[in-house]
Amino acid sequence: MVESALPIVADGLQRHFGSGDDIVKAVDGVDLQIQPGEIFGFLGPNGAGKSTTVRMLTTLLRPTGGTGRVAGFDIVTEADSVRRNIGVALQDAAIDPLMTGNELLRLQAVLYGFPKAQHHQRAGELLERVGLTAAGDRRVGTYSGGMRRRLDLALSLIHEPSVLFLDEPTTGLDPMSRISLWEEIRRLNNDGTTVLLTTQYLEEADQLAERIAIIDHGVIVRKGRPTELKAEVGSPTLFVTVDESSHQIATGLLAKFGDLRPSPEGSLGVGLHEGPSAVSNVVRELDDAGITVGNLELREPSLDDVFAEATGYRLEGAES
Amino acid sequence: MRTGQAVRPIDTRRTPHSAAAVGLAKRSIVNITRLPSAFLPSVIMPVFQSIAFAGTFFAIIQIPGFPTDRSINWFLPLGTLMGAGFAGIGIGFSTIRDLETGFYDRIRLTPAPRTALITGPLMAALIRAVLVTTIVIIVGLMFGARPTHGPGGVLLLYVAAAGIAALGTGWGLGLAFRFRDMRAAAIMQLTFFLLIFLTDAQTPLFIMEGWLESAASINPFTNIIRLARLGFLDAPITWNNMWGGLIAITAISALTLAFARRSLDRLSDS
Amino acid sequence: MTSPVAAAPLTPTRAPAQTSVIAQTWALSVRSIQSLLRQPSLVIPSLIFPLFFAALGTSSFSRAIELPGFPAVDSYLDFALAGAIVQGILFGSTTGATALATDIENGFFDRLLASPSTRTGIIVGRMAGGMAYGAFQTLFFVLVLLPFGLTIKGGVGGVIGLMVSGTILALAIGALMSAMALITGSSEAVQGAFPLLFIALFFSSAFFPRETMSGIYGTLADLNPVSHLVEGMRDLVIEGVSASALARAILVPGVLAVISIAVSLRALRHRLGAS
Repeated sequence: MVESALPIVADGLQRHFGSGDDIVKAVDGVDLQIQPGEIFGFLGPNGAGKSTTVRMLTTLLRPTGGTGRVAGFDIVTEADSVRRNIGVALQDAAIDPLMTGNELLRLQAVLYGFPKAQHHQRAGELLERVGLTAAGDRRVGTYSGGMRRRLDLALSLIHEPSVLFLDEPTTGLDPMSRISLWEEIRRLNNDGTTVLLTTQYLEEADQLAERIAIIDHGVIVRKGRPTELKAEVGSPTLFVTVDESSHQIATGLLAKFGDLRPSPEGSLGVGLHEGPSAVSNVVRELDDAGITVGNLELREPSLDDVFAEATGYRLEGAES
Repeated sequence: MRTGQAVRPIDTRRTPHSAAAVGLAKRSIVNITRLPSAFLPSVIMPVFQSIAFAGTFFAIIQIPGFPTDRSINWFLPLGTLMGAGFAGIGIGFSTIRDLETGFYDRIRLTPAPRTALITGPLMAALIRAVLVTTIVIIVGLMFGARPTHGPGGVLLLYVAAAGIAALGTGWGLGLAFRFRDMRAAAIMQLTFFLLIFLTDAQTPLFIMEGWLESAASINPFTNIIRLARLGFLDAPITWNNMWGGLIAITAISALTLAFARRSLDRLSDS
Repeated sequence: MTSPVAAAPLTPTRAPAQTSVIAQTWALSVRSIQSLLRQPSLVIPSLIFPLFFAALGTSSFSRAIELPGFPAVDSYLDFALAGAIVQGILFGSTTGATALATDIENGFFDRLLASPSTRTGIIVGRMAGGMAYGAFQTLFFVLVLLPFGLTIKGGVGGVIGLMVSGTILALAIGALMSAMALITGSSEAVQGAFPLLFIALFFSSAFFPRETMSGIYGTLADLNPVSHLVEGMRDLVIEGVSASALARAILVPGVLAVISIAVSLRALRHRLGAS
């Protein structure tokens, strides 16, 4: 496929803030090629450059280097055409609390150039789609967090965009709301919408995304299908809980079985090169060294491991 | 992954400038009525100021050569312009709020023409200015104000008020885009306040002495206030009295609105 | 002036407790002065605006002082000083009360009440900062305007009279606004009351003599205590120290202060009863 026909392309995209010694390289050369009809997960710790990349691709922020094309248009020179073809739900769903859901949707319809006759109908359809018909004439200030997110999504869909950017769409939502939003995203994707999703939840990426990229310190450190990335990590991880006093000796012993990996507080992690069969050897070695093992856990590689290996952190509350 | 699906045909619909501007103006007007703590003072202050100045400085009309024998005729146009200025600056305030909450990103994400992001709020400010002017005139009439040159003279007050609202909008929006927080609000208010008072706001130029006279005679706002007062003073309305004010509102509005437009673009630089 | 500390002995009055009352009041006073100084955005306008208007008026109304009804003055500046002082104190005194309302909103006030501090100590301490600031403002305006041709007929005695008057006015306005803060517990309500002070200032003889006003406006100015306060202070400037001038400059804010403190203490007692 010709690259310019791809829904989202970034080529060495860069965003630096400040200058001289105080320069902050928020995004430092990001390459992305996102296929039509794909859900692409964009992962990274807080402040890694996810949102900055999204702000550039959605024309809100001018890049300081590199280029980007969205829906076939250049994000700088053809910003207006980009805007006409993308839908964006930004982090925190910042919506004017003084207006009603209905008013906001109609304003959105005006700003997207719908003829006057269609405003009312369009707003009604979208309210229904996100289940806010009953709340449509209430001010947004009275909405719950989940309702705001749904309205925000409706606002970004008013013009049936072919490319949708969702910046941490489920952060702070309760599990029920999160699952219903996932269903909505899948439905949109089934209708042919390309989705770029940033998230801090690995489970979300695992559930939804066909491919993911992990960004850290403004640079993409891993990219691919979740299954491939997990396979790359390869070996399962063994977590061992031992006494604080014997950490040092245990670490030395564990290193003989594979590469040491980030682990939850109080435990040690090692990627077992020889696979699960090595567990009994590990236990024996520790036992011989007189180290009491408190807890032992073997985990198949997960996206969490991919992330940990790539960035050196484990995300808070991450589950495999 | 469903490969092979091409990007959908590009929608070529363009957002009409006028529709976008009207939509944004409507939102601005509706919102201000939903925030009475911001709206009421903007209507009450100019009325109060017109009456309070007229009452407190009642005696100045006795100064020989004073251009009217009704103090309310002298102070009503000043109160109106203060109200019109704050109608414009109020747009700056609400834009700061939108920038702080992040809602302004939503507006910037739409394909609405960028100039509509300026002209929309401008329309709202003009509507507010006309509303405030009308209210001040009605209350002023009850307190003894009498137009001296009929509807044509009153119209000049509307023109001056609209001009002040326009330049206030440009200044307010531009500063809001530059600072993005309440610092902008303080600068807007202070600069406007200084410019409007370092004029013949209180007494005619020929009565003044010293530093203020020098400041007022070079301050273009003096011309705008003169234009606003023409329909309420005894002197005949001449082109000579008018053009200075008309040029001042046109030129300053053009400058501040251009500043706003430039600053809007600079929002995507940081 | 009656001492509010003596007026409401709510704490047992043993000797050690008495010293701690003073110590507490002092500590709270220092805190209120500090919090005032930490808010330059509130302090600076209360110093600059009155000077700006006095300067503006002096240039604008230089010929107005020849009008019938104006007292004999060399310049409008002499006439305007008293109005500027009152204006500055009205601006400045609300800040302490806004801080009090904020303290109530964020719970600091309840902690203070739960501590063994005396009730009156809390109120007076809160206001002491405002009083000190009122005295400072008065002196500041006099000193800044002297090089610009201000003449004070009352001399040093007149300036001291002005400062006493300004101090008591700051106490009165501070107590009035504190009563508002204690009754509503909302800093927004306190700031909302600010325009009322503005109206009281404009419907008085703060900027022009009552003798030049007419109709209802003149009647309102006659009834407005601010007129009598300003005129007392003004006489100290343009005529010299006299019993009549001192009486008006000190008694008007004094009475206002006594009433305001009484209302404040009632509101405080009510708040204690309610919580």
